[in-house]
Amino acid sequence: MTVQTVLQTFFLAFFGLAAIWFAVVVFRTSSMVRSALALLFSQTAIGAMFLAMQAEFLGVLQIMMMATEMAIMAIFMVMYMMDPGGLGEMDMTHQKRLSQVAGVVGAVAALVVAFFAGWGPVAGSAPGAFEQTRLLGLEIMERSMLIFETAGVTILTAMIAATATAIAVREVRKRGEGE
Amino acid sequence: MTAKGAHNSEAATSTGAREARSSWFARLVSRAMSRDLHAFVVPGEDVVRARGLDLEAAGLRISATPRHASVLVLVGELPRGLKRAAAVAYAQMPRPRTILAIGADDLSPLPEPDASADLEQESLEKGVVELGRWISESAFRDEVSDFDADAVRTRTEYTCSMHPEVVRDEPGSCPVCGMDLVPRESAGGMDHEGDGEHGDHGSVDHDEHGGDGDDGSAAHEEASGMEHGGHEGHGGMDFGHMDHGDGMGFMSMIEMTRDLPRSRDGLPMEWAAAPFGPLFPGLPGGLSLLLTLDGDAVAEARATSIVGVRSLEGSTRSPGSFVGRMARLDPLSPVAYRVLALRALEDAAGAAPEEREALARVDALERERAASHLGWLAGLGRLLGHARLASRAGKLQLALLSAAVGGGELAGLRTQTGRFINEVLRTPFMKRRLEGVAILPEGSDASGPVARARGIPDDARADEGVYRDLGFEPAVRGDDDALSRARVRLEEVERSLDLLLAAGSDFLPEPAFDPGLTGRGEAGIETPRGTASLRVTLEVGAVSDLEIHTPSTHHLRLVERLADDQEIAEFLVGVASLDVSPWEVVL
Amino acid sequence: MSVALTLLMLAAGAYLVAVLEGWISTGRLSAAGPITGGLALLGRESLVPRKPDRIFFEVAPPLLLVSAVLAFAVLPISPNLIVADLATGALFVNAALAYVMVALVMAGWGPDGVYAMVGGWRFLGQLIAYSMLIVMPITAVAMRAESLVTTDVVVSQAALPNALYQPVGFLVFVAAAMAVCFLPPLDLPNAPGELAGGVEAEYTGWRLAVFRLARLLLVVTLAAAITVFYLGGWSGPLLPPWAWSAAKALLVAAAMLMVGRYVPRLGEADFLQWCWKLGIPLALFNIFYVGVLLLVLP
Repeated sequence: MTVQTVLQTFFLAFFGLAAIWFAVVVFRTSSMVRSALALLFSQTAIGAMFLAMQAEFLGVLQIMMMATEMAIMAIFMVMYMMDPGGLGEMDMTHQKRLSQVAGVVGAVAALVVAFFAGWGPVAGSAPGAFEQTRLLGLEIMERSMLIFETAGVTILTAMIAATATAIAVREVRKRGEGE
Repeated sequence: MTAKGAHNSEAATSTGAREARSSWFARLVSRAMSRDLHAFVVPGEDVVRARGLDLEAAGLRISATPRHASVLVLVGELPRGLKRAAAVAYAQMPRPRTILAIGADDLSPLPEPDASADLEQESLEKGVVELGRWISESAFRDEVSDFDADAVRTRTEYTCSMHPEVVRDEPGSCPVCGMDLVPRESAGGMDHEGDGEHGDHGSVDHDEHGGDGDDGSAAHEEASGMEHGGHEGHGGMDFGHMDHGDGMGFMSMIEMTRDLPRSRDGLPMEWAAAPFGPLFPGLPGGLSLLLTLDGDAVAEARATSIVGVRSLEGSTRSPGSFVGRMARLDPLSPVAYRVLALRALEDAAGAAPEEREALARVDALERERAASHLGWLAGLGRLLGHARLASRAGKLQLALLSAAVGGGELAGLRTQTGRFINEVLRTPFMKRRLEGVAILPEGSDASGPVARARGIPDDARADEGVYRDLGFEPAVRGDDDALSRARVRLEEVERSLDLLLAAGSDFLPEPAFDPGLTGRGEAGIETPRGTASLRVTLEVGAVSDLEIHTPSTHHLRLVERLADDQEIAEFLVGVASLDVSPWEVVL
Repeated sequence: MSVALTLLMLAAGAYLVAVLEGWISTGRLSAAGPITGGLALLGRESLVPRKPDRIFFEVAPPLLLVSAVLAFAVLPISPNLIVADLATGALFVNAALAYVMVALVMAGWGPDGVYAMVGGWRFLGQLIAYSMLIVMPITAVAMRAESLVTTDVVVSQAALPNALYQPVGFLVFVAAAMAVCFLPPLDLPNAPGELAGGVEAEYTGWRLAVFRLARLLLVVTLAAAITVFYLGGWSGPLLPPWAWSAAKALLVAAAMLMVGRYVPRLGEADFLQWCWKLGIPLALFNIFYVGVLLLVLP
């Protein structure tokens, strides 16, 4: 047990627990904004876990994407939600039965996959971060190219559709008011 | 001229100091503070410049909010409402805080000023130096006292979150829907200031109108403490069918936002009432707006002036003191109202000024007009975040106000201003910010540059002989937006400066009036903001009755019609384009 | 040792940029200006608004500070002076800068005030405009360097700085950088004339000092990023490498600060239009152009 593995395990556990704690805060608080930002920090903790596992690119990517996404979600909370400050002490959990069942099923499924999937032989050590990034790039360009292209086009379609829907609504209203 | 009565009683100055033990560090910090003065100006930078004072040259940096200021600067005689607003601003300033009074005497409910000065640049600079000295000596004290004033106390009322029109002084239940009433603080805005060191301070969002006690209903309608984002229930929304709690079922965003009022861009958001003014940096000082914000769009606006003209009657006055009183009506255009009063009296006496005097009046009026428009431009620059425009226009205005008649100074200023005006609209993005903004709805009653920007060649000067002789023509444009108004004003600056150079006379004697003068006189004048008219009735040499119409009274009402779900910045630019002077609004 | 030295240079850079900012805004050059200003701010009370969301109100300024420092940590001042030479350095800069948005959302929401909240919303609009434009030019830069390591990026510019090699990307990145550190004319969140201070309106005393310091460090960091990615970092004759880095970064910072005085604030809607209709196509073109150059030129 080298110092590195000890440290690695420690940080993994620490960030893992932090991620779980923030996730619990998401539902325990009644303020919408706190909920959104707690989710943000939960995701950041997961990104930190990736870093602890020496998957540098994934970790940095996770931290970057989640920050922007969750901050935007927080803004939408304030704009649309009735009580973003949580003064109404609203209960954040809904459909309790269904979510409990779904949670248990999801946890079992994740554990099953983790223990029984064929992950291949355990590597002696992880390649260096620079090499990892390079290999990742090659992987995206070779084997996984189709996956990422499809994902990219799908997202683009969704963006265009959303914009078109919003504009259409506005034009309908303008025409409606003009009459 | 030395500063007057500065260091006062212990009680007065200790509302400004911060509690701390005296130590070398405290002394170091106070010396740093004395050299880093940030001023919050009451009533506003526009008035300061119109009086010919340059605060930045005196070493003060202007701050946009009382929170970031260390000096409260009061300029000129302030009406009661403004003093109350200033008291609220003072209470929001973090300690150590000081007061610099320029040309102002009685400041209650504010404490005694820590330094005073007269309305002159030299006296101002001495006052600032003295202020610096006070700060480096007394910014920190062992014992301090609270600043307690009526304007600053809170009143807790109880209101229903579904029906905000229901307001009671005691807890209970809403007569309409039966819900419990929730507490809310109201106008006047703040808790007592606690002692400096201990954390939380009762503080409310700044620029809140000091609560004009005469108008009770206004106090209720103002939203103090924030009503945004549903912190105190929903600003005026009816969620009657919504039910919090367990039996909710799946919350669909579409369902939840179905009945929310929609603004022009289609986004349903919470509505919040936000006060802007009366001491807001982007608006003329004394103009108080209550905006209903839909996100960052302005859905509705209500405008009032807390420095308007309440009543000019009262004691009968001699013509001389009447003229003086009229000159003090609007610090932004004193000359115009003075000449208006003179004209009305001359009309009553059936006299007419001689040519030299008429030319001198043209000189003074046009100088004021050009200076007023340049000041307007500086204010617009500050609103738009265009620092260079704000500083150049301000400097040109001050130079114009102090330039001597005749000689090269004015001619040089004319060329400089001409070059400056050419650049203004050519700056990238300037036209974008002004084009299409604040188009007035049909049937709006406007005057002055606002009217001329709509293509109506309405200008009182066109009927006056003196002006016709000097070759005057009104500046008119076609479109009705902020850009057009800016163009009209820019052109008027150039034409006024040309008239100034052509008239070139400064003979302005104090006219004498027959002591037994009786009769009625009527006169009109083109102030920088529009046509003003005055009708006086004299009885045996004293003014017994008068009736005055000012352009800003109409323009203030126009402000309310401008709210059309546009973004705040666009709305504020629109308000600025109307160039309302809250001082000349007849209440 | 080198870590401490790098951070010291960051501090020195921040001080000089503060002096520059004071000079540009007041017209008077005052070398002790930041010290005086900082002490004065620290001597004032730090008020807390009446009903804040306390956590967010307190966390926002330090978060802004941390975000700026973390972004700087991966930027090299000279081949040996870098705090953390990550393999994904160029990407990490963006990851750290993403927290600027989080901090401003907190600062907007925390104080429970309309001006602050509107400032926060406007920064969201600005974010949606600049977020693509701050990442895409870096893609092209990484393409040329064939690496995300920031030192490699500097080395790859030995022949020609990226500002000349990919000028379109350079201009786009500079515009996006000004939006990130909300300098005029893109200072929508704090808009002194329109919003009476916006997101920083409710901060006073030492909290305001932290906020302003964070903002300053952000400006320095972005100037350093522009230097590293586009101006060839430490390369240059005669002077030692760190001097070149410092000089270039200061010049960039001065330019960014000065531009704002001459132009009015850009409206949110306008900025969004410009970024999405013009900026993104330009950034895509830039990537294509750099790709062609790399494949075609020997």
